[in-house]
Amino acid sequence: MNSGFWRQAMAVARRDLERERHAGEVVWVTIPFGAIALLLVPLAVGINQDVLSRIGTGMLFVVVMLFGVLTSIRRTNIETPPQRDAIALLGIDPVAEFAGKTAASAVVLLVFEVVMAAVAVALYGIDISGWWWMIIVLPLTAIGLAELGTISGAIAASVQAGPALVPLLVTPLAIPLLLGATQTVENIDPDGGNLSWLVLMAIVVLVLAIVGVLTARPLQETR
Amino acid sequence: MTARGRLAWLDITAVIAVVGALVFAMVSPRVESQGDSARMLFIHVPTIWLAYLAFAVTFVASIAFLVTRKLKWDLVAGSSAEIGVVFTTVAIIGGMIWGKATWNVYWTWDARLTLTAVMLFVYIGYLALRRAIPDPVARARRSSVLGILGLVQLIPVHFSVTWWRTLHQTNTFRPRDIQMDGPILAALLVSVAAFTLVYAALLRRRYQLAEMELEAHRAAAAAEGPVAGDAVSAPTIGST
Repeated sequence: MNSGFWRQAMAVARRDLERERHAGEVVWVTIPFGAIALLLVPLAVGINQDVLSRIGTGMLFVVVMLFGVLTSIRRTNIETPPQRDAIALLGIDPVAEFAGKTAASAVVLLVFEVVMAAVAVALYGIDISGWWWMIIVLPLTAIGLAELGTISGAIAASVQAGPALVPLLVTPLAIPLLLGATQTVENIDPDGGNLSWLVLMAIVVLVLAIVGVLTARPLQETR
Repeated sequence: MTARGRLAWLDITAVIAVVGALVFAMVSPRVESQGDSARMLFIHVPTIWLAYLAFAVTFVASIAFLVTRKLKWDLVAGSSAEIGVVFTTVAIIGGMIWGKATWNVYWTWDARLTLTAVMLFVYIGYLALRRAIPDPVARARRSSVLGILGLVQLIPVHFSVTWWRTLHQTNTFRPRDIQMDGPILAALLVSVAAFTLVYAALLRRRYQLAEMELEAHRAAAAAEGPVAGDAVSAPTIGST
């Protein structure tokens, strides 16, 4: 891939991050909403601290997945059809566009995940002895969700039922990421058994990247 | 023989094969540990096999469409996914009935059960997407991507019984470790073959119907007369 490709990808990512900086949607809407969701769970299941610390990691990743999916979709669906046409007519490589959008979404999702993790640790008293796994798990989750959101956003772009449809498309496909993330962090294994779950996540992220790259062009032609 | 005649023969052969397989299943030896409820094996395993097969065909046909851009591959992918959804539902319901007999519950949070249900939702989403896009070419391009992505879900479903040691038994077909009596295995293989014929017959019929739907769509599009002002439009790209 030449420097033109990376320049285009960086330009798309920068544009999306600028949009987010101006709109502040994640900071002012999604993060507070996610925090409220984490706050509501103990009110529904009870405030027993043992129970909360046991389910805390799982709840964190459920919230990350559901809200992350919405964030990722939202970020890829803010373009209007004329804007999408303009991007294509400018000659921007569809793969570079996919890479740029995914990168921007992943950055935003990573910020969301880190804040949610801090909130979950504070509210649920999660045992953070295995926190170093988070250094790998959180970015992998963010990249995977960003890839899924970008692909699904392109699939459902301009479809009338798109906003209702995309969560149904993305959420089941994000299950391997949720499983990998929770199993890695919850089953701290001194013999390195968690590694197999990380490998699962890495494989899913890789497969999504390959699908995203290979299908970027036909999806750009369609919309 | 005409195409119509060949189709009828496929249907008749499939029905006879399934009836034969069910008779074979009923006369096969009884599994002492589970009693007659174990005969659900001859329905449950072939239906989940068909689900896997149908979704694998959707995956391959989706790739074939993206490579060749021939709409017939999209019709195969969509038709196969519909059949896959039906057989996944049958497999889940059959599994629940069998579960009630052996585990005394219809549903348990077993990894295989849960992930199979999730897989069902992936393909319900796929079918919902197809219904949401009226233009055949746009529908084909978009749904083919989802048809490829859906295979990501098949991997954890298949390996779930190995990754998590839960209630569900490990995979039935393990070439290096067959733990099944010869007559039961033979009946199961006959059942799988018969259900595969049913899949072939259903796929052929559904594909035929999809072709007719496509023709009807084209005829309806051609019948629509030009509207004043159609000639003037904003520049767009793509086919939608």
